Amino acid sequence: MVDAVPQQRVQSQLPNRIVDGILAIMKVLGIMLLFILVTALVITFFLYFVTLDNAWLLIPASFSFFGLMLLIVYFAKIPIGYNLRNLTVRYRTTLLTSVAFILVTGVLTGLMGFINGLKRLAQATGNPANVIVLSQGSTEEAVSNLAFESMGDIAQQEGVERRNDEPLCSRESYLVLSLPIAEPVPGSPTRRLLQVRGLFDPVASAQVHDFDLLPGGEWFSAAGVRPDADPNKPPLVEVVLGQGIARQLAGDRSAAARAQARNPEQLEVGDTIPLDTRELVVTGIMKTEGTTFDSEVWSKQSVIGPLLGKSNYTTLVLRATDAQQAQKLEDFFMGKDKDFKYEKTQVNAFTETNYYKSQSQTSVQLLIGTILVATVMGFGGVMGVMNTMFAAISQRVKDIGMLRLLGFSRWRILVSFLTESLLIALLGGLIGCVLGYMCNGLQATSIIGGGAGPGGKAVVFRVVVDWGVLGIGLTLSMLMGFVGGLIPALSAMRFKPLEALRG
Amino acid sequence: MKFMMLIFKNLRRNLVRSMLTSAGVMVLVFVITLIWSILGFLDMATSEKSANFKGIVTEKWSIPSQLPFSYANTLENGAAREESDVKPMDSMTWQFFIGSVDKTNIGFSTFIFAFCMEPKKLLTMMDELDSLQPGPKAELDKAIKAMEANRQGIIVGQKRLAAIEKKVGDRIKVFGINYRDLELECEIVGTFPPGRYDNNTCINRDYLNASLDAYKASKGKPHPLAEKTLNLVWVKVPTKDSFTKMSGQIDNSPMFAAPPVKIETASSGVSNFLAAYKDLLMILRYLLAPAIIITLTVVISNAISISVRERRKEMAVLKVIGFQPNQIIFLVLGEAILLGVVAGAISSIGTYYFVNRVIGGIPFQIAFFSSFPVLDGALWWGAAIGFITSFAGSILPALSTRSIKVVDVFSKVA
Repeated sequence: MVDAVPQQRVQSQLPNRIVDGILAIMKVLGIMLLFILVTALVITFFLYFVTLDNAWLLIPASFSFFGLMLLIVYFAKIPIGYNLRNLTVRYRTTLLTSVAFILVTGVLTGLMGFINGLKRLAQATGNPANVIVLSQGSTEEAVSNLAFESMGDIAQQEGVERRNDEPLCSRESYLVLSLPIAEPVPGSPTRRLLQVRGLFDPVASAQVHDFDLLPGGEWFSAAGVRPDADPNKPPLVEVVLGQGIARQLAGDRSAAARAQARNPEQLEVGDTIPLDTRELVVTGIMKTEGTTFDSEVWSKQSVIGPLLGKSNYTTLVLRATDAQQAQKLEDFFMGKDKDFKYEKTQVNAFTETNYYKSQSQTSVQLLIGTILVATVMGFGGVMGVMNTMFAAISQRVKDIGMLRLLGFSRWRILVSFLTESLLIALLGGLIGCVLGYMCNGLQATSIIGGGAGPGGKAVVFRVVVDWGVLGIGLTLSMLMGFVGGLIPALSAMRFKPLEALRG
Repeated sequence: MKFMMLIFKNLRRNLVRSMLTSAGVMVLVFVITLIWSILGFLDMATSEKSANFKGIVTEKWSIPSQLPFSYANTLENGAAREESDVKPMDSMTWQFFIGSVDKTNIGFSTFIFAFCMEPKKLLTMMDELDSLQPGPKAELDKAIKAMEANRQGIIVGQKRLAAIEKKVGDRIKVFGINYRDLELECEIVGTFPPGRYDNNTCINRDYLNASLDAYKASKGKPHPLAEKTLNLVWVKVPTKDSFTKMSGQIDNSPMFAAPPVKIETASSGVSNFLAAYKDLLMILRYLLAPAIIITLTVVISNAISISVRERRKEMAVLKVIGFQPNQIIFLVLGEAILLGVVAGAISSIGTYYFVNRVIGGIPFQIAFFSSFPVLDGALWWGAAIGFITSFAGSILPALSTRSIKVVDVFSKVA
C-alpha cells in the first residue's frame, strides 16, 4: 500500500511523457514542414523571377523589409531598446548565432560568385551576329567533323557579311592537346589539357571574333612557322595565346625557366612552349579576358593539324550582316522553315550567343548543387536562430507577461521578437557578404559544356561577386532570420499575461 | 548507468530544443556525407594501386585520342616483341560511339554515349563490374552472352534506358554524332547494375567495325574516321615494375609513329582529366566541408550554451548534493555528445542506404563520372562528425559550469 502511491505516480506520469514527446515531435515536424514549404516557395520565386542580372534588386528589397519592420516598431511604440539590450547582454549567444549566418552567407556568396563568373563568361563570349556551323548532330566542337568541300558553299550563302568581296568567316579546327607539365607537384596532374584552335586565316578569324592583340604582338604568318635560331632544329610553330592561358602556362614552366623568364607571371611574345620534338613560339597575346577564348591557343591549321593528327575542320563561324540575319541563317541551316532551308548538306548551326548559352549547362548543374547546399546550411542556420530565440523567450516569459499587462498587443510582441532575430540575420548576412566579396576577382578554372555526357571546354575565368550575388546572399540570410524567428515569436505572442507573470 | 539516465532525462526535458539541434546535425551531416563521398571516390580513382595496375594507352598529344584500329592487337599485347617482354594480364579496347536515338532531336532524352568493346571484358576489366556480387554478376553475364550471340545486342544503363523510354528487348536505331552518317540498329539485351554505369551503353566492337566496313562498301570510300576508331586501350599488369617495363616497350615500339601513343596509369589519366575541375573540388574540400562542420559546431555550441545557462540553479543543486565539478562537466559533454553521435550516425547511415539502395548514387556529373556511390566510410562518418563537433561545441559551455558558485546562484534566488 505504501509502494502503491509512487507506482500510481509513475503510471500517471508515463502517458504525460508520451504525450509530451509526441507533441515535441509534432512541433519539430511542423517546423520542418514550414521550412520545406518556405524553401519551396523561395526556390520557385527565385527560379521564376530572379536572375543574376536582376538579383541586385534584392538588396533594396531586404533593407526595405527591415526598414518596414523598424517603422512598425517605431509607430507601434515597441521598446526596441529592450531587444537591443537583450542581444548585447547575451552577446555570446548573439555572436554564435551570427557566426552561423556569416558562414552560410559567406559560402553561398562565394559559390554563387563562382557560378556567376562561369555564366558571365558564357554570356560575354560570342557575337550575336555570328553563326557557328558544326557537323550534323554535333552540339560541341570537339565531336564535330565538317567536310571541307561543303564549307565554301555554306560561307557563300546570302546574309553572310562580305569584305573585299569575300565572305567574312572563320574556318577552325578545335582540338585538345595533352601537354606535359615541366615539374608537376607530387600528387597533382602531370599534364595540362590545352585547347588549341587551328585556323585557316588568323586575320579573318580575329575579325569574326572581334579580338585584337596586346601591343607588341602579331598574328602568325601565312606559313604558320618560323625558322629556329639553330638551323639544325625544325621550324618553330607560331601561336597566339589568350591572356588566361598565357598566365597558366607561365606557371607550368620549370623553376629554372621561370627564374630566367622576362615575365615569370605570364608568357610573353617570343617565349616558347616545348611540344615533343617541336617548339611553339608565342607571336602574340590576344585581348580575350572574360571570354572562353581566354583559355585557347590559336595556330595555323595546316601546321598544327597534321602535327596533332587532326586534318579536318570542326567549326565554321560566319559573320552575318546583323543579329537578325544571323538568326535567319541559323533557321536556314537548321531547316526550321520547310520552304527555305539549306539542302546541300545537313549541318547544325547556332547563333554564337545561343551556342554559348547552351554551353552553360554546367553552371545549371552547379547552381542546383549550390541550392541544395544553401538549403541544408540554411536549415542549420535556422535551427541555430530558433534555438536562440526560443531560449531568449523562455528566459523572458515574465517580461512578456509584463508587456502584455502594460497594454502591448500580441502582434507587437511578435514584431518585437521577429525584429530581434532579423537584426542578428542582418548583422551576420552583411559580414557574410563582405567575406564572400573577398572572393571577387579570383582566377579559377572549370569546365563549361552542354551537359549531355562527358566533354566540355576547360576555361579560365574570374569569380564575380557582384550586387546580384550579394543580394541573393543577404536575402537568404534575412529569410533564415525570418523563418528562424517567426515560430518562437509566434509562441511568445500566445502567452497569457497572468500565466506568464506566474512563470 | 544512473549517470546515463540523467543525461537522457536532461535531453528529454527540452525535447523541442534537442530535436531542433538533432535536425540541424542530421541535415548538415547529410551534406558532408555527400561531399566526402564524391571527394573520396575521386581520391580513390586518382590514387595509385600497389597491385593489379591498370594502364591507359592513348594518343600522345590529342584529346579525344583517336588511334587506328590496327594498333589494337599490338597494344593489347603490351607491344611485347621478345619472350622476356612483359605481357598484360588482361586488356580491353574502347571505341566511343556518341549518338542519338532521334536524328533531329538531340538532347538528354535521346543521347547515347557508348563504349564499343569486347563484351566479355565487361566482367574482367571494367571498374566495379569486375567485383560484382553473384546475383548482379549472373544477370550481367547473361546479357554479355546475349551480346556475343547477337553482335547487334547492346547493354544500356538503367537511367539511360529510362531516359530514352525503352526497355530490355526493344530495338533502337542509334544515329552517330561523332561517326557522321553511321546508323547502328541495336537490340537492348540487358542493363548494367545500378550505380556507376547508369548513363552508359556498351556496344559490341565487332558491330561498329562491321558497320564501318559496310559504310565503305556502300559509299565507295572509307568513313572519314575509319582510321581513327580506337580511342583507348586498357592493360592490366601485376606490379608497378611490370608497368614501367611495359611503358618502355610501348614508348620504344616502332609500330606507333603516326600518331604516337603514350601510356599512363589509370589514376594518372583520371587525375589529368580532372585537372580542369581542380578549383571546384578545392571549394568542396577546403571551403564547403569545413564551413558546414563549423556551422554544425556553432549550432551545437549555441544549444548547449543556452542549456547550461538555463540550468545554473540545477547545477548549483547538483553541487550541493555532492556532484564534483568534473562530473557536471561530463554531464554537459555527455548530453552534447550523445545527441551529436546519435543524430550524426542516423543521418549518415540513412544517407548511405537511401542514396545507394533507393536512388542508386549521387547524381553529379564530373568529367566522365555521372553518379557517385556513398562510400562505406559513411557508416561511421556521421558518428565521428557528431562526436567531434559536439565535443568541440560543448567543451567551453561545459567548462563554464566550473565557475558556477552555489552561494552566488542561491543568493540571487533568495
